[in-house]
Amino acid sequence: MIKPTPLPLQRSASRANFQSGQTRPPIGSRIVAISPDDGSSIDLRNPALAALLSWCLPGLGQIYQGRTQKGAIFMGAIMATFLIGLWLGGGKVVYASWKPGETRWAFVCQAGAGLVALPAVIQSRHLNGSARQPLLPIGFMAPPLSTGQSVSRKYAESLTQSDPDIEADDFFDKPPLRQFRGDQLSIWHRRLGKFFEIGTLYTMLAGMLNLLVIFDAWAGPLGTPTDEDRKLHKNAGDKNIQTPT
Amino acid sequence: MMLSMQPLICAGFIAMATSHGLPSTPLLATLAENVPGIFYALPLVALASLIFAATHHEDPAEIRFATLHWAVWLGGILGTVFVAVMLLGWMA
Repeated sequence: MIKPTPLPLQRSASRANFQSGQTRPPIGSRIVAISPDDGSSIDLRNPALAALLSWCLPGLGQIYQGRTQKGAIFMGAIMATFLIGLWLGGGKVVYASWKPGETRWAFVCQAGAGLVALPAVIQSRHLNGSARQPLLPIGFMAPPLSTGQSVSRKYAESLTQSDPDIEADDFFDKPPLRQFRGDQLSIWHRRLGKFFEIGTLYTMLAGMLNLLVIFDAWAGPLGTPTDEDRKLHKNAGDKNIQTPT
Repeated sequence: MMLSMQPLICAGFIAMATSHGLPSTPLLATLAENVPGIFYALPLVALASLIFAATHHEDPAEIRFATLHWAVWLGGILGTVFVAVMLLGWMA
């Protein structure tokens, strides 16, 4: 079976491209990007896999490509921001909810941080599914209970024991389930105050900035043309419009 | 190994947030009382500057320089907006 030759990913930031007017020929069959700092080639290996790895764990794609320092920077910065946001928000700011009127749109941004936000999806599916209780203990990343929501007896008891703002009287007995008559999101806002919003902001920003990291793993550094590159490009354009005498 | 450590790291942070909720922990209670909300934006400006710089460069020295460059720009723009809003509120 003949394997298709992967199309090389060319970057036009290098000076040689502007001078010759031609793109740099591919190096073997590797997919490379050009560093905007020194014009050296960056072997992107499998860009799709690198991008996926960077989504799973920020910076892992760069480490896979051998760009270890950058990968460590991305991993440390984004994971630290996400976890600090989770801590500031008391572990309550990352959850997935698609109920009409209670949709957690912030999770769309938080999911950009990768697998670290995945427990929220698992918890939401279990709590709203037939199990009526989250899979992970202490309701970690579980969505808040809304008024009238039915949960398992076990989860109702664990909430009563672990949360000082929830009492046994907050649940109606509805065999085999128990129906919550409060509003857990209001409880969280009252307890956390401004830290609920601050934690949400930190986790959202970590997720959104990881999209840039994913793009860096996919296509290499964005690069900004230097003034010299701009002049060379302008001169190359001027040559095309000169009319012969 | 890093993937398997994620739940442990998360669990560690959640353990810090006691079952009695935040900001009852002394550190966060102190932060809530003494640190104005605007200062929580500073780490975010630093993070955005670092990520923008690192996605535009490969060389660590260039990344450091670009981080400062972006931080000055972002901080300046946000600071200008903040001052403008404060002035408008003062004049109102």
